[in-house]
Amino acid sequence: MTMTTIRNATLALVATAALLGSVPAIAHGYREQGKAVAVAASPLTVTPNRDWNQLSGKPGKKAEAWTLDGEQLDQVTFYGGIAPGEPLLREHDKKGKPLPKLTREMLLAEVPELLEATYRTDRAIASFTLLDARPERFLGTDGIRFAYEYVDGDELPRRGEAHAALVKGLLYMATLDAPRLHYFDQVAPAYRALVESATLR
Amino acid sequence: MIRRLAALLAALATTPALASTTAPAPLPPPYTAAYQPQGVDEIGLWKEMDEDERVLASSPILIRDEALNAYVRGVLCATVGAARCKAARIYILRTPLFNASMAPNGTMRVFSGLLLRVRSEAELGAVLGHEFGHFEQRHSLAAFKARRSGTDILSWGAVLAGMLPYAQGAYNFQTMQISVYGRLARFSRDQERDADLHGIGYLNGSTLRPQSAAMAWRNVMTEAERAAAARGQAHPRFDRVPYLASHPCDAERAETMAALAIPDGVGRDDGAARYAAALAPWLPQFLDDQIKLNNFGASDYLIGMLGEHGATASLWVARGDLYRARGYPRDLVSAAEFYANAIALDATLPGAQRGLGLSLLKTGRRTEGIEALRRYLQLEPTAPDAAMIGMLIATAGPGQ
Repeated sequence: MTMTTIRNATLALVATAALLGSVPAIAHGYREQGKAVAVAASPLTVTPNRDWNQLSGKPGKKAEAWTLDGEQLDQVTFYGGIAPGEPLLREHDKKGKPLPKLTREMLLAEVPELLEATYRTDRAIASFTLLDARPERFLGTDGIRFAYEYVDGDELPRRGEAHAALVKGLLYMATLDAPRLHYFDQVAPAYRALVESATLR
Repeated sequence: MIRRLAALLAALATTPALASTTAPAPLPPPYTAAYQPQGVDEIGLWKEMDEDERVLASSPILIRDEALNAYVRGVLCATVGAARCKAARIYILRTPLFNASMAPNGTMRVFSGLLLRVRSEAELGAVLGHEFGHFEQRHSLAAFKARRSGTDILSWGAVLAGMLPYAQGAYNFQTMQISVYGRLARFSRDQERDADLHGIGYLNGSTLRPQSAAMAWRNVMTEAERAAAARGQAHPRFDRVPYLASHPCDAERAETMAALAIPDGVGRDDGAARYAAALAPWLPQFLDDQIKLNNFGASDYLIGMLGEHGATASLWVARGDLYRARGYPRDLVSAAEFYANAIALDATLPGAQRGLGLSLLKTGRRTEGIEALRRYLQLEPTAPDAAMIGMLIATAGPGQ
C-alpha cells in the first residue's frame, strides 16, 4: 500500500464518518413525555405531557415544528425569540416575495396581524380570518392568545391557535395549525399542555 | 417513433411567429357549440379536467355570489359572443393573484386578484377572451402532445447516448435536452401569442373597446415597477424573454395588443362605470386581501389607481393599514393621517378607529390613541380582538 492509497483511504473514512455523523442532524426527532427540552435553539423550553415528533427542516431560522400525526394533519410551531427586522418563517423568495418583519414598535395586539400577513404572503392565500384575540399569560408574562381560520393552498380549511409574548423586545410564540375538521379539536389539548409547560430559561 | 420525431422537428421548425403581425386581429370565425373530445388523448384530458371541476365546484375559496358570477359571465358573453360563452363555466376564486385560466373542458377559473386589477369590462374581457382563445384553439391538447413527443425524444436520446462507446455521447445528449426544452418553452410562448390574437379578435368583434387590452398590460408593468422600486430593487425588465419563459415578455404583449386592436374601436365604451358599480360590494375585501400580502409598492399603486376619481373612506383605511403594516416610524405618522382622513369621511368605520388608535399609541400619542380605541370598541363591541384591545386601553393609560 503506497502513501497515496493510505491517504485516500483515510480521507474516504473521514468523509464517510462525517456523512454518517450528520445523519441524525437531518432526521426527524423524537420528544419524550416528561423531558424538558429547549426549542427553536432558544431559551424557550417546554415539557411535553406526551410523546411528540419533532420535524427536521426548520420552517424558519428561529422556528421549530412538532407534530403528532404528520405536518399536514397537525403542526405545532415554536418561534424562539424573533428580533425586530426578522421574519417569522424562512423566506423562499427573498426578492420577489419577502415576508413581513417584526418591527420594534409592534404591539402585542398586532402580533395576530403579523402572523396573518406572513401566512398570506408565504402561501399566496386570501382567506384568513381572526376569530378571537384575548390577553393570556404566556411564559410567565403578559401575553396574547388568538385563534384563526384559513384555507391553505391545498384548499383544506384549517384552524389555528397561537400564544405569544414579547420578552425584552423579542417575540416568543407557539402555534397549532390543523384541519378544522376533527384534527384541530383532537390535538388542541396536547398543544395547550405544551403551552402551559413553556418557560424561558 | 421516428415518424413522430420527424413530424415534431418539422413542426418546431415551422412554428409561426405571430407577434410580427401588425394588422388588426381578424374577427372570430363561426363557432360550433358543444364540441366533444376526439381521440384517446383529448378524451383522457377532458376526463381529468372533469374530475378537477368536480373538486373545484365545492372549493371553500369559491365566491358563490350570484350577482358577481352573473356579471363576470355577462362580460365574457359580451366579449366572445353568446354562442361561445355557453361553452364556459365560470368559477371565481378568492386568490390574490393576477390570473385566470380555462381548461380544455370549458372550466374557467377567474382569480379575485384579477378582478381587483382590471378597471373596465373591456380589460376584463381582454383577459377572459385570451383564456377563451386557448380553449377554442385546444392549446392544452397541443401542448400535452408536444411535451410527450419532446420527452419521448429525450428518453430515446438517453438510451442511445448511453450505448455510445465515447464520452461525446453524453455531451450531445445534454445539448439535445437544452434544445428540446427550449423548443417547448417557445411552443408555449407561441400559444400565448395565438391566444392574444384571438382574445383581441373577440374584442374587435364585440361592442367593447379593444384598445383597453394593452392598457391592462401596461398597468401590470407599472405595478411590477412600483413593487420593485418600493423594495429598492432594480427596475424590472419587460423586454427580455428568458430561454425557458412560458409567456412572451409583457412589453411585447402590450405592443402587440395595441397593434391588433381595430383603430375604429377606440371610440367605443369600455364599460368602466358598469365595472366599478358591479365590483363595489367586493372591492374592500379584494383590496384587503392584497394589502396583507406585504407588497407595499404594488398595493400602494393599486390604491392610487382605485382612488383616481376621489378617495373613499375605505380606500383611506386600506392605505392606513398598508403603512401601519410596513411600520417605519414615518409610516406610522402617515398611517394616522390616512385613518383620520377616513374618519373625516365616515366616522362609523371601526377599522379606521382601530388603526388610528394603534398608530397613535405607537407614535407616543397615548391619550388620543386610547380615545380612538374606545370609539372602536363602541362601534364594534363584539370585535374578535375586543378583549385584547380592552386590555391595551387598561394598561396603556396616560403616564405609563
